[in-house]
Formats: sequence, structure tokens, C-alpha cells
Amino acid sequence: MSEGVKSSPSGGRFHFRVRGPRDFYGGLALIAMALIAMWATGELPGQQGFAFGPGTAPRIFAVLLAIIGALVALGGLLADGPPIEPYAVKGPAFVLVAILLFALMIRGVTITSLHLSVPPLGLVPSTFVAFMVSIMGSSEMRWVESLIAAVGMTIFCVLLFVYLLQLPFQLWPWV
Amino acid sequence: MTDLFANLWLGFSIAASPANLGFCLLGAFVGTLVGVLPGIGTVATVAMLLPITFGLPPVGALIMLAGIYYGAQYGGSTTSILVNIPGEATSVITCLDGHQMARQGRAGAALSIAAIGSFIAGCVSTVLVAALGVPLTSIALLFGPAEYFSLMVLGLIFAVVLAKGSVLKAIAMIVTGLLLSMVGSDLETGAGRMTFDIAELSDGIGFTNVAMGLFGFAEIIRNLEMSQESRDIVKGKIKGLMPTRQDLKDSAGAIARGTVLGSILGILPGGGAVVASFAAYTFEKRISKHPERFGHGAIQGVAAPESANNAAAQTSFIPLLTLGIPPNAVMALMVGAMTIHGIVPGPQVMTKQPELFWGMIASMWLGNLMLVIINLPLVGLWVTLLRVPYRLLFPSIIVFCCIGIYSINNSPTDVVIAAVFGLFGYWLVKHDFEPAPLVLAFVLGPLMEENLRRAMLIARGDATVFVTRPISAGLMFVAVSLLVLAMLPMIRKRRDEVFVE
Repeated sequence: MSEGVKSSPSGGRFHFRVRGPRDFYGGLALIAMALIAMWATGELPGQQGFAFGPGTAPRIFAVLLAIIGALVALGGLLADGPPIEPYAVKGPAFVLVAILLFALMIRGVTITSLHLSVPPLGLVPSTFVAFMVSIMGSSEMRWVESLIAAVGMTIFCVLLFVYLLQLPFQLWPWV
Repeated sequence: MTDLFANLWLGFSIAASPANLGFCLLGAFVGTLVGVLPGIGTVATVAMLLPITFGLPPVGALIMLAGIYYGAQYGGSTTSILVNIPGEATSVITCLDGHQMARQGRAGAALSIAAIGSFIAGCVSTVLVAALGVPLTSIALLFGPAEYFSLMVLGLIFAVVLAKGSVLKAIAMIVTGLLLSMVGSDLETGAGRMTFDIAELSDGIGFTNVAMGLFGFAEIIRNLEMSQESRDIVKGKIKGLMPTRQDLKDSAGAIARGTVLGSILGILPGGGAVVASFAAYTFEKRISKHPERFGHGAIQGVAAPESANNAAAQTSFIPLLTLGIPPNAVMALMVGAMTIHGIVPGPQVMTKQPELFWGMIASMWLGNLMLVIINLPLVGLWVTLLRVPYRLLFPSIIVFCCIGIYSINNSPTDVVIAAVFGLFGYWLVKHDFEPAPLVLAFVLGPLMEENLRRAMLIARGDATVFVTRPISAGLMFVAVSLLVLAMLPMIRKRRDEVFVE
């Protein structure tokens, strides 16, 4: 792969070309994180006398991260690296939605700024829905088999966490 | 010496009580059960199973967690021998020769040599932990904040040196981890730091959420990209579980060397089981008369890394129990479990709660015995479990993780945070960043900051304190030398690349 990149006709010596995109964009993202951290700790009091303030250590590390991020990005400009693998969308999206649905449903949530209100639905529906949604992320999904597995897993979780381990869970929306 | 035996006796009298034996057995069993699942490593297993120990008495809970840990590790080896997907980083190496052996119809021998090697390594390192516990605890008393800080720096440098790939990127991960660990209220002033006015972040980001996100969810998302039909599970019934005399003769040396190497590497903070198995395998291959057989089913290639990673798993308890510093992510989860039961890890545990300290050490040995006992007869069960297609396994793992994370604090926000870290972990992999150093830094972050601040305050703002106190200076010297050694080849390579241009 890298041979291919090398043999491509390059411009002049000062031509700006991203040779290692993984490092280059990775480094840029680190710099962005560092900037966010600096902004978020900007108003915290720093060193007073010999004592560190709450803002001292985070700012030191944020600056350090920005420097290292810049070095990583620079490395991406100077040295050849493999291209960034394509990101899958379907799998991560379904998995993410499944996890978020579980978080929303298990105890209910009200976010006024988003006009969102979910009543507490309990362990049984949350587990079932999270299972079904995440399984849809797989390209090999089969409906009947999935439904049976979802029911089985829900029963197993209820038995394990509620009856065996005695953890306090609300099971159904109406209990 | 008599003290050692008296202490071990005390330990065994605690650990061998029927209830604690039961917890140990149960822990080893569920640990193996979850550890066998492909794509679930030790850290995720321990994090996921943490809630099930909440209701137990402290000693029982820690014994069970230790059992889960060994079980998870052994389960990972089982997966890598039977299927060509390593369950976790520590078993990547076992995959090389273990799976080859399985394809040659010697899965039984590979599994049993892994169990026997682990057991022998476990016996030796248990004695080592017991023997080193007392002297190291007295060293701990010499440690002030500056020494603690330097030791943790050394640990992080180890993690950098031992990480795969670029040193610079590993350092970047360390700094990111440290920064993330500072989210939440400041220890001294209570000021909210980087909380973005989100109430749930004022207590900081929970370690279990980070671990589950980076090692659980991210791993699943990544596995979904690969076609699961390519999984190559050993067909047919596994027979001949007992290794032949020749097998035992071949692997005896490898087990001994793996044990020694693993025990040493396990003590070092930031080292731990992963490196131990890599190092043992490489060493074994180098001294072998038939290096060409490695990778094609050499039994030494299974025996050495398996012994090494188990020895390291054991001795990694030493820094935790004597200095109170978790040397790896699993030990950090142990700290979490101890805190829940009101135990502050550190040198005082041994003096104030000897029954806990020695009970745990004795349970390590018992845990290893349990692994041999439960795993050899239960291999059939694990094979059945591995035949469950991944499309059904992964939603089960996700649901299980969700319930596990939620039940730690009854907090839905924790589940969301873990999901965010899952995506972050996916991104890290795409850009060749290693999550392991980040997690270690995240664990050590608060301890480091606290000791740094204290050391600076005591030294009246004089930063040279870290190099003027002898122990601290020694630790710093080792850390810097290691870093330079690791950087040298990289700098040279970079220079070459630049000059080619």
C-alpha cells in the first residue's frame, strides 16, 4: 500500500500532502481534545503559592496533549502510513441505539430541553428491546431465531440479576 | 520463614472455609464462562461481573473476583485454542500454536497443557506473592508522595514502552487518560473540572464505564465489521485430554521459564500479563532447537505464554496489596471492589486485615486448582458455547454489559458514558491508538495528581524534589532510560525516512 503512495508523482519538496492519514487526523483530533480541555478549565484557579490549584494539573496535561498531538500530526505529514480504514455505519449505529434505548427505558427519563419524556419501563422491556435493536446491526440477522433468543436472554437476565443476585430492579412498566 | 507458613496457614484456613471455597469455585466458573465468549477480554469480564459480588462479605467478594479474573483469563485461552479468535490480548500468542495444535487434532493436549502450565505457574507465584508481601510492605513505608509519584511515572512509561506501535502515540494515550481522569470535582477544593455543567459528571467518569466502553462495546462494534462465518471452530469431539509423557517432557522447561518471566513482569506496574505472554513466547522460540516448529503447533508455544500470563496475573496483585497502586486495569477494578466494601488498598491492609490479605493470597492458589478441576471436564460445554453463532452472542453480551454497568450505581447515565467510550474506542482503533495505556493512565491519574500536589507542597514548590530524593531519583532514572531506549529506534527510523526524501 505504502509503495503505491510513494511511487505516485509527488510535487515539490514543500508540497503539502498527508502521507499518513491515520496519524495526521488522529493528531488533529488530539489537539482538538486538548483545546476543549483548555477551554473547560480556563476559569479554574491555578497555582497559589506552593499549592497547586484545581486548574493547574489539567492545564499542564492539556498543553502536553496539544504538543504531542501536533507531533503525531506532523509525523503523519512526514512519514508514509496506511490509509484510514472505512468506518462501518450500520453495526455501530444499531449497537449505539440499542445501548441508548436501554439507558432511556430502564428507569425512565425526562429531558425538558428536548421535550423528551420516557416513563420507567423496567428490566424486561429494556432488555428485550436492547437485544432486538442490537441484533439488527448484524448483516446475518434472522427474525424468528432472534426473537426466540431475545426472549431467552431476557428470561436469563431476570433470573440471574433479580432472583439469583437479588439486585433491585423494576421488572415491568406497571410494577 | 516460619512467619510465612503461619501466614499462609491463616490464609488457607480462611480461603478453605466452605463458603469461600464456594465463592472461589463460582467465580472461576462464571469467569471462564464469560471469558470463553469471543471478543470479551479479562477487563470486560471482570467489569461485567463486578455487580454479582456486591452482596457478599468483603473477603468472599474479593476471593470471588480473583476467581473470576483467573477464570476469565483461562477462558480466553480456551477460545484461542479452539477458535482462531483470541478472546483477549493475553491469549493472542496462545492462538499461534494452540490453534494449530487443535487443527492437528491435539486440542485436548493443548488445553490440558495450558491448564497444567497455569496451575504450576500459579503455585510458584502464590508463594512469591506471600514471600514478597511482607518485605515490600516495609519498603512502602519509606515511600513519600514524591516516591509514589515517580513510581507511577515509571509504571506509565512501562506501559508506553510495552505498547504496540508508535511510542509517541502511546504517550498521547497516557496524557489523554490522565486528562480524562481529572474530569469531576477537584479532590482538595471540590471545584468542578471539565464537567460541562453536567451533574452526573461531578463525581468523575466511572472507571468501569471507561473499561466497558473501550474493551467491551468497542470490541463488539469492531467484530461486527468482520464476517463471522470465517470463524474456524474445531470440529468433532475433543478427545485425549491428558497430555502424553512426551508432551509433558517437552513443555516442562517452557513452563518453568514462562513462570519466572511472568512473575517478574507481573510485579512491574504497567507490565502485566500481556507482555509476559509475548516475552515468554519470543524467549522460548529464540532458545528452541527447532524454532521453525513455532507457529505450527509447538507445545512449548502454548505452555510458555500460558504459564507466564498466569504467573503475571498473580504477581500483579503485589503492587496493589503492598503499595496500593493498581498496576493494570483489572487491578483497578479490584480497587473499585475494595472501596465498595470499605477497604482502602495499601500497606495497611496486611497489618489491619491480615485475614483478608492472606485469605486472598491463599485463594489464588485454590483458584488455580479450581481452574484445572472445572476446565478439563467442562471443555465440552465451552465448545458448545463457542458454536453459538456470533450474531446471537453479541446482542447478549451488549445486554449483559448494559445491565452490569447500570446495576453498579443504578445510573442510566453510566450506560450512556460507556456507549460514548465505545465509539471513542472504535475511533482509536481506526487511528492505531492503543487503549491499554489510556486506561492505565486513567486509573493512576487521581493518585498521581494527589501525590504530585502533596510532594510539591511539602517541597515548597521545588520541582527538583523528584530527583533529589534517592528512591524517587532512581525510579525516575529508570523511567527516563526506558523511554530513551524505546525512542531511539523510532527516531533513527524517522530520520532515515526523512533523509530518503
